[in-house]
Parts: sequence; structure tokens; C-alpha cells
Amino acid sequence: MLIKRSEGKAARQRLAAAYQGLSSGGLDRRSFLRQAGFGAAGLAALGAMGPGRAQASGAATGVADLSKPIQRVKNICTHCSVGCTVTAEVQNGVWVGQEPAWESPINRGTHCAKGASVRELVHGDRRLKYPMKLVGGQWQRISWDVALNEIADRMMKIRAESGPDSVFLLGSAKFSNEGAYLFRKFAAFWGTNSVDHQARICHSTTVAGVANTWGYGAQTNSYNDIRNSKTMIIMGGNPAEAHPVSLQHVLSGKERNRAKLIVIDPRFTRTAAHATDYVRIRPGTDIPVMWGMLHHIFANGWEDKQFIAQRVFGMDEIRAECAKWTPAEVERVSGVPGEQLKQVARAFATEKPSTLIWCMGATQKTVGTANVRAFSILLLATGNVGLEGTGANIFRGHCNVQGATDFGLDVGTLPAYYGLDEGAWRHWSRVWNVRYEDMVARFDSPAMMTTPGIPTTRYFDAITLPKDQIQQRDRVKGMLVVGHGGNTVTRMPEAVKGLEALDLLVVADPHPTTFAVLGNRRENTYLLPISTQFECDGSRTASNRSVQWGTKVVNPIFESKNDYEMMYRLCGALDRAAQRSNQAVRFQAEIFKTFEVKDNAPTAESILREINRGALSTGYTGQSPERLKLHMEHQDKFDLVTLRGRAGTPVENEFYGMPWPCWGKAEWKHPGSHILYNTQLHVKDGGGTFRPRFGVERNGVTLLAEGSWSKGSEIQDGYPEFTTAVLRRLGWYDDLTAEEKGWIESNGGNFSWATDLSMGIIRVAMEHGCVPYGNGKARAVAWNLPDPVPVHREPIYTPRTDLIAQYPTLPDRRGFRMPHLGVTVQNRSHQVARDFPIILSSGRLVEYEGGGEETRSNKWLAELQQDMFVEINPADAAARNIRDGGWVWVTGPENQSKARMKAMVTERVGRGVAWMPFHFAGHFMGEDQRRRYPQGTDPIVLGESVNAITTYGYDPVTFMQETKVTLCQIRAA
Amino acid sequence: MNRITRFLAAAALALSLATPAMAQLGGPVTGTPTNPITTPGSADELELMKALNGGRIAGRGSIPDVQSQVLIQPEGREWRDFHNKTLTWVGGIAVLGMLAILVIFYMSKGRIAIEAGPAGRTIKRFNGFERAAHWMTASSFVVLGLSGLNLTFGRFLLLPIIGPEAFTAVSLWGKIAHNYLAFPFTLGIVLLFLVWVKDNIPNARDIAWFKAGGGLLGHGHPEAARFNGGQKMVFWITVLGGALVSISGYILIFPFVMTDIAGMQLAHIVHGVLSVLMVAAMIAHIYIGSVGMEGAFDAMGSGEVDLNWAKEHHSLWVEQEMAKARDTIGGPAGAKAAGAD
Amino acid sequence: MARMKFLCDSDRCIECNACVTACKNEHEVPWGINRRRVVTINDGRPGERSISMACMHCTDAPCAAVCPVSCFYTTADAIVLHDKDLCIGCGYCFYACPFGAPQYPRVGNFGGRGKMDKCTYCAGGPQQDGTLVEYTQYGANRIAEGKLPLCAEMCSTKALLAGDGQMIATIYRERVAKRGYGAGAWGWRTAYRETVGA
Repeated sequence: MLIKRSEGKAARQRLAAAYQGLSSGGLDRRSFLRQAGFGAAGLAALGAMGPGRAQASGAATGVADLSKPIQRVKNICTHCSVGCTVTAEVQNGVWVGQEPAWESPINRGTHCAKGASVRELVHGDRRLKYPMKLVGGQWQRISWDVALNEIADRMMKIRAESGPDSVFLLGSAKFSNEGAYLFRKFAAFWGTNSVDHQARICHSTTVAGVANTWGYGAQTNSYNDIRNSKTMIIMGGNPAEAHPVSLQHVLSGKERNRAKLIVIDPRFTRTAAHATDYVRIRPGTDIPVMWGMLHHIFANGWEDKQFIAQRVFGMDEIRAECAKWTPAEVERVSGVPGEQLKQVARAFATEKPSTLIWCMGATQKTVGTANVRAFSILLLATGNVGLEGTGANIFRGHCNVQGATDFGLDVGTLPAYYGLDEGAWRHWSRVWNVRYEDMVARFDSPAMMTTPGIPTTRYFDAITLPKDQIQQRDRVKGMLVVGHGGNTVTRMPEAVKGLEALDLLVVADPHPTTFAVLGNRRENTYLLPISTQFECDGSRTASNRSVQWGTKVVNPIFESKNDYEMMYRLCGALDRAAQRSNQAVRFQAEIFKTFEVKDNAPTAESILREINRGALSTGYTGQSPERLKLHMEHQDKFDLVTLRGRAGTPVENEFYGMPWPCWGKAEWKHPGSHILYNTQLHVKDGGGTFRPRFGVERNGVTLLAEGSWSKGSEIQDGYPEFTTAVLRRLGWYDDLTAEEKGWIESNGGNFSWATDLSMGIIRVAMEHGCVPYGNGKARAVAWNLPDPVPVHREPIYTPRTDLIAQYPTLPDRRGFRMPHLGVTVQNRSHQVARDFPIILSSGRLVEYEGGGEETRSNKWLAELQQDMFVEINPADAAARNIRDGGWVWVTGPENQSKARMKAMVTERVGRGVAWMPFHFAGHFMGEDQRRRYPQGTDPIVLGESVNAITTYGYDPVTFMQETKVTLCQIRAA
Repeated sequence: MNRITRFLAAAALALSLATPAMAQLGGPVTGTPTNPITTPGSADELELMKALNGGRIAGRGSIPDVQSQVLIQPEGREWRDFHNKTLTWVGGIAVLGMLAILVIFYMSKGRIAIEAGPAGRTIKRFNGFERAAHWMTASSFVVLGLSGLNLTFGRFLLLPIIGPEAFTAVSLWGKIAHNYLAFPFTLGIVLLFLVWVKDNIPNARDIAWFKAGGGLLGHGHPEAARFNGGQKMVFWITVLGGALVSISGYILIFPFVMTDIAGMQLAHIVHGVLSVLMVAAMIAHIYIGSVGMEGAFDAMGSGEVDLNWAKEHHSLWVEQEMAKARDTIGGPAGAKAAGAD
Repeated sequence: MARMKFLCDSDRCIECNACVTACKNEHEVPWGINRRRVVTINDGRPGERSISMACMHCTDAPCAAVCPVSCFYTTADAIVLHDKDLCIGCGYCFYACPFGAPQYPRVGNFGGRGKMDKCTYCAGGPQQDGTLVEYTQYGANRIAEGKLPLCAEMCSTKALLAGDGQMIATIYRERVAKRGYGAGAWGWRTAYRETVGA
């Protein structure tokens, strides 16, 4: 939209003329002097006596010598999941400037505060510069070799004494796809499933909820596609701060369609400021609001009856549940007036296409999975899935949280959602070119191989709980943390105890992170400097499943190394340590034999090629490095709304970044799938259907689609996933080539589309217009979950104790090798609510990201948010004698927790609700921990962490933590 | 002042705008939302300006600098008018007018001589401390005044002559001098006040003195004590004006420490107007204390004034001094030169 | 000849602060100097709007009018620039500026002001275009390179428009016509004595 000066030279001349004093209005200093004429020469020397020349800055890292060539390198912003392209200007190996990446169809040149300042991440003088270890409580510089050897010795010692499950591997959503995949592969070879990353604490419940509804755990449409929506609901999300560039698409959609933008949130957010309607709810009442909307929809017949009949299973049970949620009951529980909700429901159901956008407000709950399921059901009931402008537009968090989830940085699955059963292990063993039996031998027992590991939300419980309460040989003794903050998980006072009890803590990160300072550790703690993704090649998957290739901008700064090299070297060190301690297990040769290794690191391209070979189930096979690089080169050739490559270009007809599934081999040129489950397109053109993952029949009712199929399908009805057996039944088996048959038969003969490495089954299915995974119904009832039909359950800590009896949380249970308390904790609310009357919720600031160590170390961002604060309603503040900007103590109901911060008195939050940003750390319970950072690496801004106050509470399906609803008390400090 | 009333009105309005929203907050159950919202308020600049009666539009920002949270401050325009028009004209008229008056006065009356002629004997008028305090104040004032006038008039008078770079150098050193000399000036004001205030309490004689035109216009000298009406006026101009100029100046030297931008604009207006008026007054003071009157300079020069001069201008004071001297040494009046010891 | 202006569409601005950090990044602006900032009015209430604000490069610029050393000049593109070698840091431009644009590094005595710094519309200063001395004193000169201010180029929602006044006014008017609402071009009446005419 901006007018770009095309004629740089002309502009220069015009302006030069101005500077020469030729324009009417202006005079420059030189011409002024000339005109001033007499007397100037002698007196002008006085000018030299002035007290110093003014400078814009001290260290000018942004100076580019315009007379020498400047190289332009494209990478992807390392902050949120929108996937903005960053164009870096590099000169002599120094990143001298950032330019707008106009060509990218996702960000079109734009950035948010974080994206516009990423250059500082790579110049940051607060980066961790070299490996360090704690000796007697003091940080000491050591070499990489010494660090890795000592770490390896300790890891092997733990492995020998307590088993591989006693090392907790915490990966990162900041990894590239290749890094994430490599880390998961390393965990498999180490012999544990206790490998996790940030998705656990952001969208694990989304993945579980959505995948259990219609097959895949991802955003169904894209940011760009929101431009097609006529009604948008943003519920439990604040994209204006969390995903600012996405608002470009949201607001454009709002403007060009005169669309309704409805924000449903307990807090009047920056996003709500741009809404056409804002609905304030009590935190933790998403399901009542959803069912309240469906109540109106069913009562008025606004549902999409044909869509439900053809493509949805079990809607009648939902209808029965919604009947209970009368407007009066919804208002009693959630506080939303019936008439307002009716208007919202009518718009969503009748002014279509409609999309539902959600984020961590929906997911970070004890009922996170149920919330997500309810959201999905609303979409299904109104027929808003699988079409342009519709869908579950789930905005994920970190830059590659989608990719890291896809590649199995998850305690419950191998890469590409294969799960942990024997079939999954055999599949990946084939891809890795290792014997399945050899993999079994790496685990403590075959049972541990198929048992989900310890999730990151509870790692400290696995360190401190009595041994007999943890279902593995021993407690967690060592932790390898790569690219993860220590303040992101609730119950921090207990995390501190856990960290202090560890035998080994390794933090591999560009910054020391909160992990390095939180506990009072004195020994056996290592910091490894890791480069950012700007100093590394690799692909990353944006929230819309588009895969984008990032090219290394500059070499890793200081002594930092990229993820690939760190893992390669660590594996080598582990081999040597194993040798020293006479253990038979080896790592480096086995893990890296399938990759091309250069300069002590596997190349990103070769890792991606292995992913392309093995990640059949999500269609991560067509995105070869070459195709990804081609897309980055021709970013400007894609349509803004459809993301299609324009005709006559090298990327003709392909969707930008080949959003998965991109079926089959790269040379088949599958375009990727911009919109999931879109039956209006041929499967070869990016079409799809709901995925039948749970059988073909349930209690005598079919789970396959009825009267609905994707365009061009030869089977004009529902069908199950394709296997060799299905191909034989259909008489299509002989469509397989000799080569494909050869692979299948030489490997046992019975394969499904997802495990047939020849990809023949997928090819044949698509030749017949069929989707390889089948054509099923979405499940409104997910019988394998604790609540098959989502039901409202009061938060564990609720101020509405009057509702506990009617809407109790789940009973105590076990999960992920650990006990999981429910009603026992909730029953405390009756006492707690009296002393802690304010609901505490948390969320995002635009300037910071995640735990915030990286962004709080960025001077350009840190300047904009210098203090931790709590938002409090003017009424609550007045009652407590708290003034805007004053200091307060916030106390929580567990662990005598307390935190000191500034008060922001604002109507953003309703009465009885407080809100805090979650990016701060470095102060803990009133103590300033700055001195605990290695010298020169302390972030510019420190502050109390909200998670010092947050409390117990986990989703039963994924152990997602409850960060959005707990209780607290606030008093003036 | 119009400006202040407007600020008050704006604040009152902002409060009243906030009230309905606050009123909604008296909701019932803890944590239950109380204000479902559909109608957005105004964000139109003109409407807001109207609502705020042209006052500042301010909001919330994340930078700790409160100034950055002011979006539009239209008072800048008024300040600009003051600075470019009012101050220039007032200053120009005051300074040039005073010079003109003095020139005319000098042309018409010439130097005012000691009517009786110099007595040859002197009497001590100001001791060393008094003179030091005076000259500290005076020299600071001269530099402050010149550097201050330079900021208002230099761009018209000096800049075309010496060129921008030299002018900047002069102005920059002027600014630095102005900032630092503020302190001795203030100190001087305080000292002068303390040492001379008891002799400067206005009384009925001063009225008579002014009625007689201080002896300058008519003939014959009205009687006066240590300080005559004119000198008392200079004293109070110096003390009161100096105090106000100092206070307003410190507000400007320490930006945002004591007040906000509106306060600083106001401070500047006070500082500017009072300063040029003081400059004008001091020009007259300097005139009368130097070329304008025979024998006057000695009071601040050597501290000894001619006895006849003293008798003509400060007859009562001379009598007092004589009486004091008699009491002290018991000798005959005037037997001994007052300054001889 | 182009008449460069800024226009912030407050119905689009989401206070993401990209303009602020883009500016810091492009010109290496030190801590404490904010050439651009975002202000939110009616915070937390219906009608909340954010506006990105910097030097508006006014017609008949008040800063230039009051500057005691006449260090301001206006380029042919109507960009208001100043010469830091002439500036004495007196603060008058800050008193006069309706937008709080002038910034002063704290130097030396008291809360003393150093030489004023402000938005240059990415047009550098009086030094020769694209030189190191220009960069260190004023920051990058994108205009000389044929580019526009980075704050506007990087604005996440394209709320902040920069370019020829008539062209950006046309863009804004079309936007308002399409969507049916618009709170006006913030600061235009004050800076340019005209409205966007939407």
C-alpha cells in the first residue's frame, strides 16, 4: 500500500538540490554560510570549539558502506508462528541492516516490534559467549570439548545408575524442523520418551482436541485466508500482541468484507479494541459460552444440517448437552447476557464463511482439550470447516512450534504423529536404517519404549516425588534444556526445589535463561552457547503449515554453535564417555549415518531429505530443500489471499510453502494443502476430507463420510485409510509399479499409506482421486477422551465455589507416569477463595516472547517494557489503596508465593480479575537474582515471574498447565 | 490565566468521560463481567480536541517517559506565538525603549552633576562584602542577560553577521554560561536581599520622593535615607524579579523534574517577560550608576562616596551616619573623614 | 514535487511498536531517545485507539519558527530536518512542537540537554548523503536510496503510511470508503492545517 520511490537516483538528485539551498523553503548549513558571507570565515572557527559533535549513537553496527556490495539474505523471524520473512543486509559477514521483505505473501514487508528488531539478537552483547560451568556457585569459562566431555560423563553415569529415563530432554520450538527432528531422533537413540518442548505449554491441548475431532492437530486454514471471512470470532487470544502481523490479514478481512470481528475474552485486549463486538466472560467459562451459542443455534435451526449429516459423527449428543445451557444458566456461570450471545451466535452461524480463532486462552486450562473440542464442534455444527474463509485458525506460539510438534518433540509420539506403538517404532527404524530390536535395546524395557514420557509441565515433580510414585526405574536426575526458558511453567517455587535436586543441569541456549539462575545450584551446571536460527540454515513451519527455508545470515557469533553441531558433538562426547565407562551403547555413528556431515555438523538439507522419506503421515514428503528454496526465491509470485503460485511462474499452482500435507515425492509436484479437509479441490490439487483415525464404525453407526467426497474422487462416498489390503479389495493393487511392489513385498507385504516408504499406496490412491488417509466423519463425540462430550468444569481454583458441586473438576487420577490431582485440589477453593479473592490470568506483551530472556536482552525491546506489572481493575485498586504505577505484592495460594511488581490500574480487566504478562524473570519472591547470571549476560530487564504465583492444575489429556485461571491477592507494597 | 483554566476544564472533562465507565464497574459477583460493550467511543482527533476544548490529548504508552504519552499538545502553538511575537516585541520595546529614553534624557539633561560640587571628603557607603555581592550578581546578570537576549534576538542581529557556525558556538557557550551563572546570580540575589532589605522597606518618604520625581525632573532633592525611592524600586525589582526569574529558570534547567511541558512553557513565559523587563530596568540602573550621574559609581566602585553627593541624595542617611560616628568616637560631627579609618 | 507526510490510521494501529523498533534498528537510536512512539487513548475502554506518533514534518514547522539558532531546514520533499552542528540543545523546539517529537540526550550538567534528535523521515541530515558521518549524526538516509521511512514500511498492519501527502490521503480515503469508518488522519490538522478529506 505504500508508495515506493522507484527512482532512487532521481530522489537523490531532488534531495541533493534541496540540501544545496535551491529549494524555496530550505537552507542548509553550507549554503547558509555562503550567503551569510562576510565575517564568517574567522568566526566560523569558533564552531570547532563547541562542546563536541552530536552523535546518534555510540557503537554504530548498522553502518553500511554503500559503495561496496551488500548481500541480501532471507530468513524467517524467530519469534511467533506467523512466519514473517526477514530480509537481512549483510556486509563483510556483519548484519548491517534489515529491509522490508515485500515479497513474502505472509508479512508483505511488515513486522512487529520483535521482528523489526531481530538484528539485535545477532549483535546482542548479552548473549552467552562461551561454554560455562558452575564451580562452587561461581560461573567459570570452559572450552566446548571440556564442557561436552564432562556433560557426557555425567549423562552416562545417570544412564548406568538410573536408566535413560532419568535424563529429561527438553527441546525447543525455536529449533528448525531439522533441529527438532534431530533432537527427537537423539532422544529415541538415548532410549527415552521424556522429550518435550514448548508445545506442551501452549497448544498441546489444541493438537489433542483438534486431532481427536477431525484428524490433524493443526490450523486448518491460514492467516491469509482470514481475508475471506465474513464473521470472525477471536476467543482466548490476543493476536494484536501475540501475532501482530496476523492482524494485517484479520483487519483486511474485516474491512474488505465489512466482516464482524467478535472478541470473546475476559480481558479487553488490544485486539478487542478493534472488534465490532466485545464479549467479556469470566475466565474459565469457555465451554458454557460455546454451548450457550450452540443452544441458540440449535434452538433457531441455524446449524448446517447437510454438513452435519454428511461429515459429522455424534452431533445429537452435543445437542442434548447444549439444551442444558439455557441463556439464564450461561449468564449465571459465565456472566454473558443471553441476548448478546444470541447475536454472536446468529452472526457466526448465518453470516458465513465464519472462522474461529483461538490461542492460549482456550488451551492453557485444566479443560483445555475439552475447550478445543467444543470450539471445533461449533465450527462443525455451523459447517465452517474445509472452505475458504472458515476453519479453526489456531494461532500457534513460537516460530516453529508447529514444526517441532510435527517432528515429535513430544512425550507421546515419534516424528509426524506416529505415536509410540511398535508399528511406529518399526516405521522409523526403517527410515533410520537401524534394526527395531536394536532400538528396543536402548530403552530400559520394551514397555518404557511405548509409554509416554514425563511432560515439561511436571519435570520437577519427577525429580522430587517419592520414587514409588513415578512409573519408571528412578526419578529424573539430569536435564538437558535446549532453547527453553525456566519461567514458563507454573508452580515455580516447586521447580526451584526440583532444579536444586538435579545431579546435572545443562542449558544450551543463546542466553543463560532463567534455568541458569533460578535454583541455588553450585555445581554440575553447564551453559552451552547456541546460535539463533539466524546463524543457521533450516526450514521452519509456520502456524498455517507453510514450510519456509531460512538461510544463514551470519556465522554463529562468539563461540556459539548451531543446534546440529551441538548435537553432533554431544553424541561424539557420549560415545567417548560410554567407552570410558564401559557401556556398549553408541550414538554418533548410528544417528548420523543417514546424513551428510560437514564441519562437524549434519547439513540441514540432508536431515530434511530424511524427513521427506519418513514423515508420510502428515505429508511432509513433498517439501524437498530444493522446492522450499525455490519458494523463497519466488515469494512474490504467490497470490495474497489464496497463496497459490501464479500461472507462468516456476511455482505455478503451488501453495506458498507447501502447507502440509504435501503428498508424495517432491517430483510429483503436489502443491501442498492450503486449507485442510477442503472437498472442493482434487486431492492432487490440495483437497482433502476428514481423516478417519478411529475405525470405520462406532456402536453400529458409520464413521465414514456419507455423500461427501473430495473433488474427482472415484469412490463417491466415505472410505477408510488406504492399505495394501484396501488396494487389493478395490482391485487397485496392480496400479503399483514394480519398484513399489518390490519394496512392499520385500519388507513384509502389509503396509498402510503412512508406513509404505515406497509411497506407492499414496500415489495410487491419489491417482484415483482419493485421499490416502481415507474419507471419514469428524467426531463431535470423542469416546477415547475423559469427557467424550465436553462439559463445563469449574477451574481448580475458582472464586465461584457455589458452582463446584454442580460442575466439579475430574477426580484424582494418574497420567504420564505420575499422579494427577483434581478434586482434592479443587476442594481447597472453599477456603482459598476467601483469602485470595482475585482471579489471576496471564498473557503476552507484544515486545517480549515466551520466557523473555532473549527479548528482555534486546535493548530496543527492553526499553519499551521496563517493569513487570499486574493489571488490576480500578474498583479493586481503589478498595486496596493501590495507585496506577505503584508497587504491589501479589500473593498466591500455594507455597506462600509472593511477587513484587508495579500495578497498572486499568479497565482492561474486569472487576475481580487481575492479569500479568508472563515474560518476566530474574526476580523471585522479592529477591533480585541479577548477580546470579554469568557476568554480562543478564537480561536488561528483570522482573517477577507470573509463574511464581500460578498453581496446580493440569489438563487430563496432555498435562497442559493451568495458567489462565488461578486465584491471588494483591496489596500495596 | 486562560491557559490554566483550560487545563482545569480538560481535566474535569477527562474525569467526566471516565465516570460512566467507572459507574459500570459496581458489578455484582466477583469475576463476573459487568460491561458488555458494543458501541465504541470516539477516537476522532477533532472530536477529542473539541471535547477537551483544544487541550492536550494524552493516553497510555509503554515507555516510562510520561511526556511520550502526550499525543498532541496544541499549547505549543500559543507558546510559539508568545516566543516569536509577544516576547520579541515586549523585549524589543522594553530594551530599545529604555535605551531611547536614556539617550533622550542624556541629550536633554546631560550628566547630573553634584550641585554643590565635590566636597573632596568621602563617606563610606558600601562595604566590601556588599560590593562583592553586588558585583557577583551584576556580572552574572550581564552574561545571563546577554546570552538570554541572544536566544531571542541573536538570530536576527548576530547570526547574519557572524554566520551560523560561529553563532552556534556563541550561543552554545552562552547556553552553558547561562545555565551555570544562574547559581551565582541566585546566590547574589539572596545576599543582596539579606544585607539590604532592612533599608529598603518602603515608607511615606518614598512617595514624596517619587512625587518630586526623584529630583531628576524638577529642582531640589527630596530627602532620602540610605536608599531613596528609586533605589528601593531597583532593589525590589532585582529581588522579586530575580527570584521569579531564578525559579522559572531552574524549572527550565531541570526539564520535567518539577513540572510537565505546559508548566515549562509557562515557566518560560514568566522567565522571558520578566527577564527582558529586568534587563530594561537594569539598563537604567547602569546608566544612572555610571554615566548618568556624577559620583554615583563610586558607591559600588570604591565604596566611598563624596560627602556632598551623599548629602544631596541621601540627606537623612548622612545625618544618621554622622550621628553614629559621633556616638562612637565622641568627637565633633564630621571631624573625621568617614572613610579614613 | 512530492510533499512527504505521515498518516497513522488509528483504526488499523494495534500498538505493536514495530515502528518504534524499526526506527531504533535502522538508525541505531540509543536508549532513552524515542524518535517514534505509540500512544493509546481510551486504554482498556471501548473506543480504545492507538496512534503512532513522531515528527510530522509540519507545514510552517513550529520548531523551525522558534529555533534561536535557525538550525532547521525543509527539503524539497517538505521534510523538516535540522543541523546538529548548529543545534545548541536549548529545548525551545520541544516547547513548540505539538507532537513532542524533539528528543534530547542527557549530557553533562543537570538534566542538561544535548543536541536535539528527532525523526528525520529517514532522510539523514545536512551531511553528504550516505556517508558515515551522516549516519552517526542522523542515522540512515533511506530517502536518498529511493526508499521510504522504515517505520511505515514495516508497520505490521499497514496503519502507518508514509509518502506523498496526496497519495497516502488517497489510500486512506479509499480504505475508509471500503470499510465505512475512519477516525481521521491523526495530527493532520495540527501539522498540515488540512484534513485528509475522508
